[in-house]
Amino acid sequence: MKKAGWQPLWFILPTLLFIAVFSIWPIIQSFTYTFFDYQLNNQQKSGLYLSDRYNFDLFNETQTYVKLFMSEDRPHVTAEADRARIDGVLKQVDAANQQFKGKVKIQKISSAEEKQLSALDGRVTSVVQQINSKYKTPNGKNLAQVIKGYKESFIKSNFIGFRGYAQALTDPRLGNALWKTTLFTVVSVFIEFVLGLFLAMIMNKAIRGQGFIRTTSLIPWAIPTAVAALMWSYLYDGSSGIVANFFEKIGLVGNSSDLLLSAGGAMVSTIIADVWKTTPYMAILLLAGLQNIPESIYEAADIDGANKWQRFFRVTLPMLKPAILVALLFRTLDAFRVFDLIYVLTNGGPGGATESLSLYAYKTMFGQTNFGYGSVIVMLMFVCVAIIAVIFVKVLGTNLMDKN
Amino acid sequence: MKKTKLRTHWLGAALIVVFLFGMIFPFFWILITSFKPDGEIFGDGAFRIFAQHPTLNAYYEVLFNKNILTSVRNSLIVATTTTVYIIVIATFTAYAISRFRFPGKNLLLGLILAVSMFPQMIVVGPVYNMFLNLHLTNSFAVVLPYSTITLPIAVWILVTHFNQIPIALEESAKIDGASPLQILYKIVFPLAAPGVFTTAIIVFIAAWNEFLLTITLNSDSAYHTVPVAISFLRTQFQILWSEVSAATVIVTIPTLVIVLLFQKKIVSGLTSGGVKE
Repeated sequence: MKKAGWQPLWFILPTLLFIAVFSIWPIIQSFTYTFFDYQLNNQQKSGLYLSDRYNFDLFNETQTYVKLFMSEDRPHVTAEADRARIDGVLKQVDAANQQFKGKVKIQKISSAEEKQLSALDGRVTSVVQQINSKYKTPNGKNLAQVIKGYKESFIKSNFIGFRGYAQALTDPRLGNALWKTTLFTVVSVFIEFVLGLFLAMIMNKAIRGQGFIRTTSLIPWAIPTAVAALMWSYLYDGSSGIVANFFEKIGLVGNSSDLLLSAGGAMVSTIIADVWKTTPYMAILLLAGLQNIPESIYEAADIDGANKWQRFFRVTLPMLKPAILVALLFRTLDAFRVFDLIYVLTNGGPGGATESLSLYAYKTMFGQTNFGYGSVIVMLMFVCVAIIAVIFVKVLGTNLMDKN
Repeated sequence: MKKTKLRTHWLGAALIVVFLFGMIFPFFWILITSFKPDGEIFGDGAFRIFAQHPTLNAYYEVLFNKNILTSVRNSLIVATTTTVYIIVIATFTAYAISRFRFPGKNLLLGLILAVSMFPQMIVVGPVYNMFLNLHLTNSFAVVLPYSTITLPIAVWILVTHFNQIPIALEESAKIDGASPLQILYKIVFPLAAPGVFTTAIIVFIAAWNEFLLTITLNSDSAYHTVPVAISFLRTQFQILWSEVSAATVIVTIPTLVIVLLFQKKIVSGLTSGGVKE
């Protein structure tokens, strides 16, 4: 090891920069989002507003239309007094335009300005109502719509503190997603581990065809999850899916079309697809661990008269423990954030039976554009992942850094 | 004794065959379906192995009318760009971690490990807002946030490989008066080349398979990569399985080629340091 002054900094700086911009900063942002009622498609909630503000873009637009419509309607107003009223309003609108000239987007305003803008809103609204009650002007209905812009320009603070988290505590859909994710993770990782270990042990013994077996196992791992999910959705298809048909023949499901349409069937199908895709990966990781166990230990065990089971439980498993824990940790975390597979295969259906936390968060954020609550769900995932990692590292003693 | 050994041998072989069948069957069935005309996919002929009237219609359709090749091209662009820039920055970082002693090194390793663990979903929202503000949505700038997935794996695998290179060579070069950069270019990189190559393949596959960032940041189908384009075949109102199959066959070919050519490298990449994916 060399001791070097500032040199290492230049070597690690680009990595630090990327991690800071695309990992750390977004996490902090997501955390901030959780304290706001932050909804992208709602004009009054599409930002993080700690204090009350005013939407000058909307204000300017409203002003322009009010002026245009009122000037157009003026000739249709017959009574002199009403015309004077319109002129008065137009003058006030112009004065406000002059005063707030150049202000764009969403800004903070002083309380004096706030009073003034409220007064303008009140004046314009009352005049428009008076005119509309007396006359049938061409733009009367439009005006009544447009002037709502004054009120909508006032943006209340959307800071909600911990209310997002409080909502999460009583959200049954979130509880369901958490349960479904946990179920999916535990069952699929367990099956993958048992099958993977079994396979690894057979592969470790096989003399011929190891290369072929390895290549074949790598293909499911290497293809994109979305592609694998689509393949399986064909195999599971109610009318032409061969796996669905096979399940019906051997009596696993009553009717092949029920497979993806029943809650249990959809979950089992998703788990099978995941097991198919990742068991080979697990097997390869465990095989590497098996190959690291020196043959001499087995020879010593043989001399001591150990039988097959003793060899497995007393030698193989303990020696394999580090490899097993690392493989399990990464697979558990991977399964816990499952997204592509479920998104393509079932999209969470039927009726949320396979909706994972990732999918729920995605639907909340990009389906309903509710970034605030979506971030609360994501934070819950973050906490779960941290707990899983701590359990593996502290309780089970997974050593991730021993090689470094 | 000999008899039981023979029996377990046959049992093992039989299990391997069952396993291989399970791994290959979905691909095999997709391949067969891609040659079937639509009429033979539904109804009585759905489970016949060979099509009675094999056709290349589905391939023609996805290649010339559904632009599946655009998504293959996009994936090649995205995966190659990601691989190149990630490998460059990860190599330097891994070298520093492996060779220098500096304060906060364990913190850096822990940070890199933590980044590889957390759910991707956590960065997607803020990154989407960032891209919206910088007008970067629907562009290949999507490769930049790909670093969240690929950079930690790359650094992790590379550190393992650098640690296996004896330090003595570098020390003697230093005595001969080589500068740190010279040492890096003339000694370390040539020795580390196999490890770097292994890492590059793993990063390439990870970038090729990325789904979430592309589907959120690039809604324009002109920028869809293979996984996203494929997922849109599913969400169409009517699912044409022959076309889905043909598209799957086409997009699986690049992956197949990579796996066949580099399977040993991939396995060594996967197993170094117990790295995920």
